[in-house]
Amino acid sequence: MHDQLPAAIPPKPAPGLFWNPYLQIFLTVLLTAAAQILLKAGADFSARNDSVWSWIGLAELGSVWTWLGIMALVASFGGWLYALRFLPLGLAFALSNGVHIFVPLGSWFFLHEQISFLRGSGILVIIAGILLLAQSVVKVEEKI
Amino acid sequence: MSLTAWALVVVSQFALVAGQIYFKRAMTRREQDGKWIGLLAIGIATMTVWFLLWLGVMHQVELSKLMPLEGISPLLIVLGAAIFLGERLNWRGWAGIGLTCAGVMLVSAS
Repeated sequence: MHDQLPAAIPPKPAPGLFWNPYLQIFLTVLLTAAAQILLKAGADFSARNDSVWSWIGLAELGSVWTWLGIMALVASFGGWLYALRFLPLGLAFALSNGVHIFVPLGSWFFLHEQISFLRGSGILVIIAGILLLAQSVVKVEEKI
Repeated sequence: MSLTAWALVVVSQFALVAGQIYFKRAMTRREQDGKWIGLLAIGIATMTVWFLLWLGVMHQVELSKLMPLEGISPLLIVLGAAIFLGERLNWRGWAGIGLTCAGVMLVSAS
């Protein structure tokens, strides 16, 4: 099926920092982390609500936080698809795991949740992995 | 963890990998002949299956036992991308993937 199509020439991103696919992955990660925290804030809002709606999980929709969270998720999906136009899937997905760094940090900062020693060391290991991946990208792009 | 729960986890991880491969194929096809909406729709449908299965598993299994399994998804995606999309990684890339998986498992297990 693929043979009949024109060869996939890797497209060039539009000029400007905002259209850099790596920046878009970073924005996707930030937006996904923000969405998780906003949805959690929305759930906390509905936990204080005793109406019938809260029993079937719809009370969250009465919170502005929940809607902001949903909008952040939609925006992050747009950034993800944009980045996939330019980056290999395996690399992009691995970089998107940066979300596991920002969710604990954001929960600590905004929701005052604790970061345990184990979780802190996990965050450092992910950062090391992402730095190695970033280096592998530099090596590959030097060859081209 | 029951056999059913394990089966759900395996199927949901397959759905995740398949969904992401469809997304990548859709974006490649977009550059080739512009016929990408169908692939994107299959990707979204597959990711919906993944999401619902994952929610279903979470319902049955303690989160602390389940979350470390999420750490293997970057590895599965890289393997899927190698088999179905012909993507290649150098040794730094593989080491980076290994560390990322280990880190996600640590964060999830805590």
